[in-house]
Amino acid sequence: MTAIGESVPRQDAEAKLRGTAVYGIDYEEPHYLHGKILRATVPAARIVRLDTSKAEQIPGVLAIVTAQDVPGRWGFATVDQPLLADGAIRYEGEPIAAVAAETWNQARAALKAIELGLEPLDVVGTMDEALAPHARLIHPDWESYEMRPSFPREGNVATVVELERGDPDAGFAAADVVVEGEYHAPRHHQASIEPRVCTARYEDGTYVIHTSTQVPFGVRDGAAGYLGVRPSDVRVIVPTVGGGFGGKLLPTLEPIASLLARKANRPVKLVNTRKEEFLSGCPRENAVIRIRTALSKAGEILAHESEVLMDNGAYGGEQPFVAGLSPLIVCSNYRTDSIRHQTKLVYTNTPPTGPFRGVLATYAVFAVERHADEIAKTLGMDRIEFRRQNLYREGDKCATGQVLEGVAFEETLDRVEELAPWKTMTGSKKPYRGVGVACAIWNTNSAPGGSTIKLNEDGTASLTTGATEIGTGAIAQALPQIVAAELGVSVDDVFVSEPDTSVGLFDGGAQGGRTTYMAGTATKKAAGEVREQILDVAAGLLEADRGDLELSDGAVLVTGAPDRKVSLSKVARVAQATDGPMVGSGSHAHPPIEFESGCISGSVINGFTGATYHTHLAEVEVDPDTGQVTILRYVVAQDVGRAINPQAIEGQIDGGVLQGIGYALFEDLRLVDGVCVDWGFGTYRLPTAADMPEIEIALVEVPDPVGAYGVKGAAEAPIIPVAGAIANAVADAIGKPVNSIPLTPFAVLEAIHS
Amino acid sequence: MKVALTVNGEAREATIWPGESLLVMLRDRLGLPGSKNACEQGECGSCAVLLDGELVCSCLVLAAQAEGRAVVTVEGLAANGELHPVQRAFVEAGAVQCGFCTPGLVVAAADLLDSNATPTDDEIREALAGNLCRCTGYAKIIDAVKAAGTAAAGSP
Repeated sequence: MTAIGESVPRQDAEAKLRGTAVYGIDYEEPHYLHGKILRATVPAARIVRLDTSKAEQIPGVLAIVTAQDVPGRWGFATVDQPLLADGAIRYEGEPIAAVAAETWNQARAALKAIELGLEPLDVVGTMDEALAPHARLIHPDWESYEMRPSFPREGNVATVVELERGDPDAGFAAADVVVEGEYHAPRHHQASIEPRVCTARYEDGTYVIHTSTQVPFGVRDGAAGYLGVRPSDVRVIVPTVGGGFGGKLLPTLEPIASLLARKANRPVKLVNTRKEEFLSGCPRENAVIRIRTALSKAGEILAHESEVLMDNGAYGGEQPFVAGLSPLIVCSNYRTDSIRHQTKLVYTNTPPTGPFRGVLATYAVFAVERHADEIAKTLGMDRIEFRRQNLYREGDKCATGQVLEGVAFEETLDRVEELAPWKTMTGSKKPYRGVGVACAIWNTNSAPGGSTIKLNEDGTASLTTGATEIGTGAIAQALPQIVAAELGVSVDDVFVSEPDTSVGLFDGGAQGGRTTYMAGTATKKAAGEVREQILDVAAGLLEADRGDLELSDGAVLVTGAPDRKVSLSKVARVAQATDGPMVGSGSHAHPPIEFESGCISGSVINGFTGATYHTHLAEVEVDPDTGQVTILRYVVAQDVGRAINPQAIEGQIDGGVLQGIGYALFEDLRLVDGVCVDWGFGTYRLPTAADMPEIEIALVEVPDPVGAYGVKGAAEAPIIPVAGAIANAVADAIGKPVNSIPLTPFAVLEAIHS
Repeated sequence: MKVALTVNGEAREATIWPGESLLVMLRDRLGLPGSKNACEQGECGSCAVLLDGELVCSCLVLAAQAEGRAVVTVEGLAANGELHPVQRAFVEAGAVQCGFCTPGLVVAAADLLDSNATPTDDEIREALAGNLCRCTGYAKIIDAVKAAGTAAAGSP
């Protein structure tokens, strides 16, 4: 089992470094056409005229599609979104029509020749405007939209999540102290360096789509939904993916390319420009979080009340499901049995928001952890002492009443303490220097998955799965390591095929830290099946007892008798000749969790699976003249269950923390009256090499009872506590609360002088 | 119009549209898709190449400007098939994740080490600040560049 816990290099590193890896943007089919999308340039309007007749006359134009070609709507939760605008424009960037032409220039000329007549509508650009009495309804027909499952909603409120447990009113009545806070967070763009891109063709009744996606099966289902065909009539294949971070979860370009390909009877490639990425990119939603906490003088939490407003943008997407996670994170970290919570997801005339790494938790934890510091300050308690006293411990209940097991908050606090002793860090405070901590519990997405492994005639193994590599190393490292460990072969002798929905078993996608946790566990089961067959065959060949055999170095050996061995190649060939090719498959779903049913509505997420625990510490210096925040020190202790590949996990932590630093300090996708102000890296600044502090990392391994080898999700979470840790450090540095991110120099100066 | 230039040591010719960038010519005409088209406005560095030894964003250079000049792309870094020391160091340090920015980064890193074999952390950060990477947080990239420089300089 040597491959588990080893930092083996990525299987795809060399191809990526040589420039030979084929990404979605590099993938080309013979005689493909260039597609382009006509997008709305205003956030709200009625379409009174859409005439494509002149555009159709442009030489080289082979297909133009509008809503007439694809009537109806689709949606991940609420069926609210047309593929191409159907009489109304609800956000700037919304696709209205699409063309396919022989050349890019012809496609562009055709877009310009489409005649569009618009009647402007009042822009409902903010959540306040959308929630105002008599606000214009962004979806006047919302009641007729199907929702699966049906959650409470009304008008511009796309969904409502509510949780109530215990007796919060009694808690507030008995309180010695009540602490209240309101927290604001911006839109945050995934900005994967490869934009969204896909190539579709229509062949023998099947749409074949090569696309840069995190969730091939989700794209399959979404495309099938729009195209009105069975999921199996859509085949999704995933070339190398140039980053996702949640931005490539939902079908966007794929159904449009499919429609064009069928109409033109030629393959069609669609590539988003960087501007289109920003306009239509499903960024993390801007949000407002309000928290009230009832406390005793001794620092015991008697009750918690909270409210969250999430900006949904114009269409629901996955957000109604994401919103269901809100109470688990906002009413979290700290033990209390009296909770009242409400989250509202609000439609606005802005680009639809969507999942981004650490969905909702980046701002929820920012709010919860800023609030925790405010509580400690109000009570006159040390901030770490308050946390150690109140953070979840083994057997405590989370917001939904699920009993938590394997709680590792203490371990993460201890590891941070070892690296950066709190008393030393805070002992001699220098002007405008501050220290902050933030703790988080996070979920590992437990959507099911499956893998198939065949033992090849040369003794190597081939793994087929619908699970997708997007850069984390889950497929390029962890899964081959699992196969190698179980079959006793070298990691280099494990081959993984690209995801293909018509070939691989279903997989829930590269999201929520789930690939190693779920697809990895399925892969271990598949490898176990192959291993059993190998042992059966080898026992016969070696005339040995199965129990005396071990798999190592590509062979089966009799323990204690190194001369008695047979190669896996021979085992495979013998098996093939006698029983047929050797194959094993593994399927995995998470067992249901127990919680207090009835306490929560509007949610399908009722508790944690593969819960992980995190403590981050930041030390900052603030320039009182400019407001600039400099990070002097950054420490992470993260519970990963079991580190299959420590170097890969460190890489995820480095990257997640830097994304969190961008979110905390400067990233902000700004909208004015529904119009997107930032649509390039010139004004939407991403962190650069110059922004990266040194990050000290401690991996904590508290095993999960379900995941293979005790593994839990590792890649998603490191972004989550960052804004909370940095904001707490800045508040400590300047002696003033900072409850809105990003903490730009302007915002910090304003806080200093408030 | 026609352009004649040297790419990765080989004489090449391409028929181009006059408004076309060097990046488009490399990717679409010359079969070298290693340089990536991520923003096409000179902001991300994924398309970085060497033009007569100078580091440029190939999306901001007209293909026609490359007439008679020498271009080195990521495909040209590995000599005789052997990974360039920077590429080897990226593998070992775990500096690659999604890899989309990687071609530009290794070209920029090779360019840095060419003029400064043992750069300090700050020099590396500054040299790579024009290359956006959304995955790695740069830490392992900085480690890799340092390791490649040290190895090339023959230090322990």
